[in-house]
Amino acid sequence: MSVNQQDLDPDSTTDMEDITDAEEKLIKECEELWKDMEGCQKKLSLVGTETLTDSNAQLSLLIMQAKCLTAELSQWQKESPEIISLNEEVLVTLGKEEFQKLRVDLELVLSTVQSKNEKLKEDLEREQQWLDEQQQILESLNVLHNKLKQQVVTFSESRVFDELNTKMHDIKEYKEKLLITLGEFLEDHFPLPDGNVKKKKKNVKESTAQLITLHEILEILINRLFDVPHDPYIKIRDSFWPPYIELLLRNGIALRHPEDPTQIRLEAFHQ
Amino acid sequence: MSVLRPLDKQPGLNTATILLVGTEDALLQQLADAMLKEDCASELKIHLARSLPLPSDVNRPRIDLIMFVVNLHSKYSLQNVEESLRHVDATFFLGKVGFLAMGAGQESHCSIHRNTVTKLANTYRSPLFFCDLEREGFRATVAQRLVRMLQICAGHVPGVSALNLLSLLRSSENPAPEDL
Repeated sequence: MSVNQQDLDPDSTTDMEDITDAEEKLIKECEELWKDMEGCQKKLSLVGTETLTDSNAQLSLLIMQAKCLTAELSQWQKESPEIISLNEEVLVTLGKEEFQKLRVDLELVLSTVQSKNEKLKEDLEREQQWLDEQQQILESLNVLHNKLKQQVVTFSESRVFDELNTKMHDIKEYKEKLLITLGEFLEDHFPLPDGNVKKKKKNVKESTAQLITLHEILEILINRLFDVPHDPYIKIRDSFWPPYIELLLRNGIALRHPEDPTQIRLEAFHQ
Repeated sequence: MSVLRPLDKQPGLNTATILLVGTEDALLQQLADAMLKEDCASELKIHLARSLPLPSDVNRPRIDLIMFVVNLHSKYSLQNVEESLRHVDATFFLGKVGFLAMGAGQESHCSIHRNTVTKLANTYRSPLFFCDLEREGFRATVAQRLVRMLQICAGHVPGVSALNLLSLLRSSENPAPEDL
């Protein structure tokens, strides 16, 4: 730069001329352009005016726009770019202006991108937090799930079946035991009256049927109650020893039919 | 001259003129102030008018862009704009006319439906902006847009003509199915 300075100083007068030359050239160019414009203006003023109404507006405007665009297009195609004045001063000034504009634009872009960046960072943080929370929830749910899994015993059909079988077996055994005990008790305390029949042979009618034990009477009554629940009554047969029937009736174990005294039923103790 | 023509005079040096037509004087004034605050390489001149035709005795520069401002709360403003449209030359609509609808935010006060204004803009093949001119932020944004549009319409942006801009803005104005 210092070398240039030394060269310029002795030529300062010619340098000024150069600048004014450049200026004059530019001014001349402008004046020519202005003249061209005036010529065009004169031509334009000769064109008539035309107003639009709502109905014809769209179509006529579209046609007009199409025409103008084609005209512009042909103009652009015809035109070749003109080189601006190659004067150094002009170019330097223009260059500086362009760079200034570029700098401003780039600064804008920079600030936009930076703010976008920050927003993205915030978004990322938020999403990260959300993700962490979700993962925590997932973990705790998994723990809960495992706990519950352990508590639940695996269901197996066969096991239930076996369990039911054993239950039934136990109950059947118990039933058998009860029946045996009942039978023994009844035999001990309520035997068939073999002796008495022989004594009162004359007065008492000989029962044609063989007397059955109290146990058997009870059995008949029980079976009837469970076989035909809606009609649990049985007729009093000769094979029933009357005192035992009286015993059952008096103690509320058997009941008479409300309308027919010859029928009895077992009291429904299970209901 | 009762009909406005786009290229009736020589342009002023490095000047761009916009004409705002609308019934809301105060808001138009505020919009004009907002536009003047914008950073612009060219000198801006803003003219306000209630309606067209403009009085012919005034010496005014060549108008580069007309914005018709419609207030969606008042049917009168729409009528006013429709009346004024008759005094505009057809060649103005090649990108040098725009519509600005205000008050779309308050749905309850709107006596004109948005579609009416959209249809109007479509009929005249011109861009339509929506803006709530009472809010300063929105006003500043729309002022910025208008300044850019004005610069292009005045020819101060090399390589882009008003018609080019219009074609580029077309995307929001695809014809509605009922127009086809």
